Amino acid sequence: MSALSFLKGAIFADEYASKKGLLQSLDPRVKTVTFLFFIIQILLTKNLFILLCLYALCLLLTLFSRINVGFFLKRTWIFIPLFSLLIAIPALFNIVTPGEPLITFTIAGLKLSITRQGLFGAALFMMRVTTSVSFAVLLSLTTRHFELLKVLRVFGIPQVFVMTLGICYRYIYLFVEIVENTYLAIKSRVGTTVHYTRGQHIVAWNIASLWNRSYQLNEAVYQAMLSRGYRGEPVLGDDFKIMAKDGLWLSFVITLSAALAYVQYYLLV
Amino acid sequence: MDKLIFELQDVYFSYLGRYPALCGVDIHIRRGERIILVGANGSGKSTLLQMLDGLIFPDRGILKAFGGELTEGRFNDDGFSKTFRKNVGLVFQNSDIQLFCPTVKEDILFGPLQLGVAKKEIQRRFDELVHVLDIAALLDRSPHQLSIGEKRKVAIASTLVIDPEVLILDEPTAGLDPLTTRHIIDLLLAANAAGKTIITATHDLHIVEELSDVVYVFSQGKRIIRHGSPQEILSDSNLLQANNLIHMHSHRHRGKTHIHPHLHIYHHEEE
Ligand SMILES: Nc1ncnc2c1ncn2[C@@H]1O[C@H](COP(=O)(O)OP(=O)(O)OP(=O)(O)O)[C@@H](O)[C@H]1O
Ligand SMILES: [Mg+2]
Repeated sequence: MSALSFLKGAIFADEYASKKGLLQSLDPRVKTVTFLFFIIQILLTKNLFILLCLYALCLLLTLFSRINVGFFLKRTWIFIPLFSLLIAIPALFNIVTPGEPLITFTIAGLKLSITRQGLFGAALFMMRVTTSVSFAVLLSLTTRHFELLKVLRVFGIPQVFVMTLGICYRYIYLFVEIVENTYLAIKSRVGTTVHYTRGQHIVAWNIASLWNRSYQLNEAVYQAMLSRGYRGEPVLGDDFKIMAKDGLWLSFVITLSAALAYVQYYLLV
Repeated sequence: MDKLIFELQDVYFSYLGRYPALCGVDIHIRRGERIILVGANGSGKSTLLQMLDGLIFPDRGILKAFGGELTEGRFNDDGFSKTFRKNVGLVFQNSDIQLFCPTVKEDILFGPLQLGVAKKEIQRRFDELVHVLDIAALLDRSPHQLSIGEKRKVAIASTLVIDPEVLILDEPTAGLDPLTTRHIIDLLLAANAAGKTIITATHDLHIVEELSDVVYVFSQGKRIIRHGSPQEILSDSNLLQANNLIHMHSHRHRGKTHIHPHLHIYHHEEE
């Protein structure tokens, strides 16, 4: 049950997206494009210093967007060990990355050493993952999810598809609620000590009824759409507006990127 | 005023061919009329309203709307479909079904956008409804995260914004607080005064008198057993009792047991 609430909180919470901060006030299209641009830069650079700069920028943006930095760090660092440690740790060693040994030790008769190139490579990799995950999380925290969906349209994805995704999203929420409420209802009727096999029955019945309900819901919603004039091709209002602020943000991003590129190619190499 | 807009003759309908929902319904609705449908749970009210909205069609019998027979095939014609949807709007009993957009605002705008209403006109109606229903604070929220009454208000707004000639409402006031109920009745009465036809299904006998010229009573047999003026129907307590609309109320008072019909209609006025 608590796993469900966590899921609900993680996927559906938009309390941060509705705060009035710097990133929340930008046009979602501009924001998504610039964030993608940041992520591409992160993936292309081989320079630790630049990665650090970008990470600092990310944290700064978090601050300006009125997001609790502690919360943000927790949110991003949940994902990072998953990706990075598994890939980065083997890369430390001479088996994977040959080079100058820094520390050498023997495990079970196998001589292992951490190489300088390995260490640098692992640090670079960690930093890359950390920074790009941070940007991705920051984007998803400061943008309402349906807005992200609408951004897909900018990239030429058909409206029907976007709308269907939106409805799916909404019904996943409804299902989570149904499951949650069913558990509560069972709890209120039979108490918490449901016998194991009976519990299984209830769960099996529940899944069957969920299918059933989803089918009926589907049909009913379709009727509701027909009733309001839907003819197979949704007409959606477009209420994104690009404002002066977005222009300012865009020029900031371009200037910054140019500066970082300059640093990378002319000063450090 | 005398023009018939809906005409049903001996209409039968069953869900999946197995669950009968309408068994021989006759009804005539004229332009500008206020119609109320009452009846026990499961007596077929919602089914009839969906049929009037051109969402389901009779298994047997005749369904005519605006002078022509209404069949599924006619909705394949874009022009007809658009005109019909502009003319007839339905507020569903279950607001969760009616609201499917990511935000309240988009949900309200969905109908007129599909129907190609001019942007300026949409904005005007939108602003007015948001004001009257007092839902400005909800506009950017997701409909599925609202309270039941708030959802109902949004659902009503999303149908009223289409500004249809015929307004069909399935239990519009269920779960609403008294003041909001009042606002909605006033909204509907204003629409009626402007010539709109209003068809409402309800269990709430308080609103019957105001929102009806004719009351139709559905029986457990899923057909209409009586129709008449609201005064006529509301004063027939045997009829109301037989159809679960009122119940006998017994209580002890100074050592004696009193039994009298409990008419929910007078309930609040006495308090
Ligand atoms: N989706 C469905 N599938 C099968 N049977 C249905 C379905 N919807 C309604 N019915 C059946 O059709 C009959 C009429 O239902 P309907 O919803 O029209 O009643 P109602 O008068 O609106 O009731 P209520 O006051 O509870 O809203 C009922 O017997 C019901 O069991
Ligand atoms: Mg009903």
